[in-house]
Amino acid sequence: MGSLKIFTKAKCPKCPAVKEMGTELKKEGVPVFSYDLDTIEGLAEASFYSILSTPSIVIEDETEREVISWRGVVPTLQEVKQYLFKGLS
Amino acid sequence: MSTVIEMKGDHQGMREEFETTDMALFVRTSDESMHDWDRQRIVDALMRETYVDFDTAKEIARDVEDLIAVSKIKMITAPLIRELVDTKLIERGLEQARKMHTRLGMPLYDVDQLILHPNKENANVPHGPEATNLTLAERIKKEYALLSVFSQEVADAHMRGDLHLHDLGFVDRPYCSGQSLEYIKRFGLSLPNSIAMAKPAKHPEVLLAHMVKFAAALQSHFAGAIGWDSVNLFFAPYLVGMSDQELEQLAQMMIFEFSQQAVARGGQAIFTDLNLYWEIPKHFEDVPAIGPGGELTGKTYSDYMKEAQRFAWALFDVYLAGDGSGRPFFFPKPMVHITEKFFKTPGHMDFLDHICDVASEKGNTYFVFDRGETAKISECCRLSFKLDHTDLEDAKQPWRMRYCALQNVTLNLPRIAYLSEGDDTLLFSKITDFIEMAVKAHLEKKRFIEKLLSLGEKGPLALLAMDRDGSPYLRMHRASFLIGMVGLNELVQIHTGQELHQSKQAFKFGLKVIAHMKLLVERLSERYGMRFVLEQTPAESTAYRFAKLDLKYHSPKSGHVVKGDISRGEVYYTNSTYLNNSAVLNPIERVRQEGLFHPLIEAGALTHIWLGEAKPSKSSLANFVMKTFQKTHNDQIAFSPEFTTCNLCHRTSRGLRSTCIYCGSGDVDGITRITGYFTKVSSWNKGKIGELRNRYRNQAFLDEKEGGTVELLINDH
Repeated sequence: MGSLKIFTKAKCPKCPAVKEMGTELKKEGVPVFSYDLDTIEGLAEASFYSILSTPSIVIEDETEREVISWRGVVPTLQEVKQYLFKGLS
Repeated sequence: MSTVIEMKGDHQGMREEFETTDMALFVRTSDESMHDWDRQRIVDALMRETYVDFDTAKEIARDVEDLIAVSKIKMITAPLIRELVDTKLIERGLEQARKMHTRLGMPLYDVDQLILHPNKENANVPHGPEATNLTLAERIKKEYALLSVFSQEVADAHMRGDLHLHDLGFVDRPYCSGQSLEYIKRFGLSLPNSIAMAKPAKHPEVLLAHMVKFAAALQSHFAGAIGWDSVNLFFAPYLVGMSDQELEQLAQMMIFEFSQQAVARGGQAIFTDLNLYWEIPKHFEDVPAIGPGGELTGKTYSDYMKEAQRFAWALFDVYLAGDGSGRPFFFPKPMVHITEKFFKTPGHMDFLDHICDVASEKGNTYFVFDRGETAKISECCRLSFKLDHTDLEDAKQPWRMRYCALQNVTLNLPRIAYLSEGDDTLLFSKITDFIEMAVKAHLEKKRFIEKLLSLGEKGPLALLAMDRDGSPYLRMHRASFLIGMVGLNELVQIHTGQELHQSKQAFKFGLKVIAHMKLLVERLSERYGMRFVLEQTPAESTAYRFAKLDLKYHSPKSGHVVKGDISRGEVYYTNSTYLNNSAVLNPIERVRQEGLFHPLIEAGALTHIWLGEAKPSKSSLANFVMKTFQKTHNDQIAFSPEFTTCNLCHRTSRGLRSTCIYCGSGDVDGITRITGYFTKVSSWNKGKIGELRNRYRNQAFLDEKEGGTVELLINDH
């Protein structure tokens, strides 16, 4: 099964919106992984995906291949769902 | 100045109770005068150099005198007397005094070897009397540094090989620097110790002469590279109206002047980087241009794009032709900045083809990628500085843009993995310990350099203390303190059982290690108010030194990990965060994967693409460079071809060969990139030779496809 990866930082004005989106999707049963770039694990994972700005979202398919990503921007929940369910189907 | 004390006649009759004046000894000094033996000299030295009390000093002097008197030594040297005094200090438990009384120097045998044989620690040092002077001075300063500048804790960490303090032989200088031509254009050449002051240059040839002389002066004050920002742009106001031929002549002069400076410090060519731009960098667009005579021309630098571009083109014409034997120029290194604006500037594709032609033919070009709004200045092999808002403010007066790194300390990452025995917590805690030790070393070096700088224009670092624009030439508040690393690949291999390129899990663990280091140096920077940054150390000899020391201290484990050929002694660790040199990887995949580490390494990073004999077309390389810019986060790439140069017929051919393809002579030398520069393979240390044997040449991947371009497999992840 595919997944959603969320990359945020503590001091980032747009991050709360993405975190909220993550919480929402989690409730709907989507596997959501959150990474804080101020931590070692978060920064390492972000580096792996070439994430240089926050907030960022990466959607991966079951084989861990990137389907789409938003870097430094906040997509609408609708947009995320569109790719997410396409990717997960 | 050595002193020899010679026994005069028979000393058999000497007794314990003799007085100094009875001792029939001469002190022979190097000024060829003779002095009588005088025990008081030992007392004086002890009182002057240590904190021992007068009575103890007298006792020690008498003990030493007795020892000499009863010995059958025919001739004793001053170092021997000093050692005898030191043994007496040790006998009394006066360890600190012994340290303070230490004599620095080298054994006769070592000096003999040094004078006869080349030094292989730095392939950029030739063999000759000047080089010998340099090495001798370095040896003494290195000892001085380890005894007097650094604490014992730091010195021991260096000696053990936990970390490496770079350029200890140049302990009384900062590490490397970035310069602006605008400084000499505005202020002329006015050096504190110079006997003649030159006003600002009026002609391009004179500006070049000033630049070369200033570079030589700076080489005497920095241990490493001297980088010059936007060279083609800052020359441009002097080039108006010059014909193509005149411009080509000037470009030739610049490259030959810097490449033939092997008459400067220690016969060592000045490690020079020329930063070049096809476009007008955004931060210089509206800056008033300084022209001949140091006067403002009334125009901004945007008005000089044509001249700047013509000069950059001419420089690469010279690189393409190579030196008188067709060999690539080793220095100065051209660093071309590839930016968003580059691709919007007319003529960029032709220029990209031109510099890629040079990259394929001779390998000189370094492609520095400044993505987004980032502006960078590259300093040495891979060291670069991203300009922040205060730098961009300085850019309005570009002569203020002078930067330096005060020191480079490199961590032995595989050592940390051996010590951690597979325990994650221990591993990350040890990385913290090693970094804290590096920070301690930086604080100690900073204190020492500040002491020298405090002596101002009458002190040893007068050039760096000179004040022509309201602040000292060396702007300490802008200095960086580098923390490098060697052998991330081997750390991961020891800790996880796989090398970086062997699994996603191993690769991610490598990222975790560097992420930990980055976050830690950021915290330490805040704590100390200093700028600690991670750097990919070139580690020309450090990768070899660490591997050798670990074979000694961490055998048998290390025997399975070090790269190279143990039976030949050609061992090394993989440099910095690089993937294994022998790993068979599509070059763009190597560039992408290694590039994932680059945003974490603030002071700059680089990926090498070893070409071997392959000579890809300029359009293939241009395509590769564009893909690298667009699809990866790699900071900098360089393509490295290999050559064979004949010492008999002086012709140069492609590839590393044992005989000359033109005349059949076996008297040949290989030429390729060792770390961040080209040099002759015969000057390389054993570790680098081992690496050269292992380098995976990307020939197959770079062979042209029918369509005329190389195969570029870019996977998103």
